[in-house]
Amino acid sequence: MASTAHAAAPSEVEIEVISLFDQLQERLFGYVLSFGVTVHDAEDIVQETFLSLFRHLQLGRSRRNLRGWIFRVGHNLALKRRTTNRVEPSGVAYEDIAALHSDPSPSVEEQIAFSQRQQRLLAVVDALPEQDQRCLALRAEGLKYREIAEILGISLGSVSMSLARSLARLARSDGR
Amino acid sequence: MSGNDVHLSDQEIVLCADGELSSHRAARVREHLAGCWICRARAAELEAAIADFVHIHQRRVDSQMRPAAGLRASLKAQLAEAAATERKSRIRLFPSVFLRQLALACVPLLIVMVGVWRMRSGTLRPFGGIVRLQARALPDRVLTPGFTRAVKLDDLCGQRHTDAPRVVDTSMEQEVFKEYGLSVSTSKEYELDYLITPELGGADDIRNLWPEPYASTAWNAHVKDELEDRLHEMVCDGKIDLSTAQKDIATNWIAAYKRYFHTESPLPPKGTSMRS
Repeated sequence: MASTAHAAAPSEVEIEVISLFDQLQERLFGYVLSFGVTVHDAEDIVQETFLSLFRHLQLGRSRRNLRGWIFRVGHNLALKRRTTNRVEPSGVAYEDIAALHSDPSPSVEEQIAFSQRQQRLLAVVDALPEQDQRCLALRAEGLKYREIAEILGISLGSVSMSLARSLARLARSDGR
Repeated sequence: MSGNDVHLSDQEIVLCADGELSSHRAARVREHLAGCWICRARAAELEAAIADFVHIHQRRVDSQMRPAAGLRASLKAQLAEAAATERKSRIRLFPSVFLRQLALACVPLLIVMVGVWRMRSGTLRPFGGIVRLQARALPDRVLTPGFTRAVKLDDLCGQRHTDAPRVVDTSMEQEVFKEYGLSVSTSKEYELDYLITPELGGADDIRNLWPEPYASTAWNAHVKDELEDRLHEMVCDGKIDLSTAQKDIATNWIAAYKRYFHTESPLPPKGTSMRS
């Protein structure tokens, strides 16, 4: 590609997009993965999101809350990809975690207890309604309630109720 | 929370912990917590639940996160290409603001006219799309999305690699040049290349062929040949999946080259051209 070989200096928009990518790609990747898509699909979605951001900014569209915009686009692309690939909602990936990570504590009993507790928590998370899982994942990625509400198209009250309900279930599953 | 004798709800505790309450309400919640062990214990339970979820969530991400460098390089390449395409189309076609606005107003009419012309000339693909009438290092994704055939890995890795050029049906070759708006007389300047090389399961199909410049760009056919060899080797060595190799080369072979060769620019070619 000639334009790459004799590349012009990156435009301000390109620099801005790469800067936002550096800040947010890991968080967006984490959120997209919570849809149960493959790693490869999650990477594709992250890339497509930032290309969409480039087009969005090139067209001079709104710069209000770009972080929320990025997560909203990633959310929509992940939903679309999951529909295309017919991945069942809820985290298939979550289920693998207990097997992937065993507690490094030396005692066998402790390891068993750790594993059982992980399984119990994972089962609770997987059994949560889809919207509650999305709220938890977005909050875990550092988004504020207002941003979560915008991304999921729900009210602020619904976000706080969803989070409180999910955390209460997690607490109850652990005998708290 | 209506008074100090009424316990806090889970929602109030979580909202306060997340900094989502007004300063006045947050102060009242904190005041209540200071005097109520039951609510403080509940707040601690909810905090522990947050920690549990973050632990699960973070472990899942960490276990699947790959270094971002490849993804970043790929994005940069695509951004540069998108920006260059946009610049060219703006500068070449519409040097003044007035002409740009005039052109924008004419776009719908132009689209209809080009569509009609292409349908009449029989060059419009069934799924539609107005093509950029130029060949370039990266194919038009609409015209050339890449197309694979059903193939076994053993067959791909067992076959002897040959430097002999593959013969593409003449009528198909003419069709490819035509849809990219090129004259067949210029064909010596291009390699009619498979986007997904047959050595990686690419099919003899017009959706997998495009005229790739030999020398007009640094990212030319010779460079792509090197990538094809590298990917074939990696697939057969079991270092990457065949589907990953197919997807990477079809999505953006330049970005794939940068990722697999760990370089931002093409390495000097090893030898002469080798058509895939």
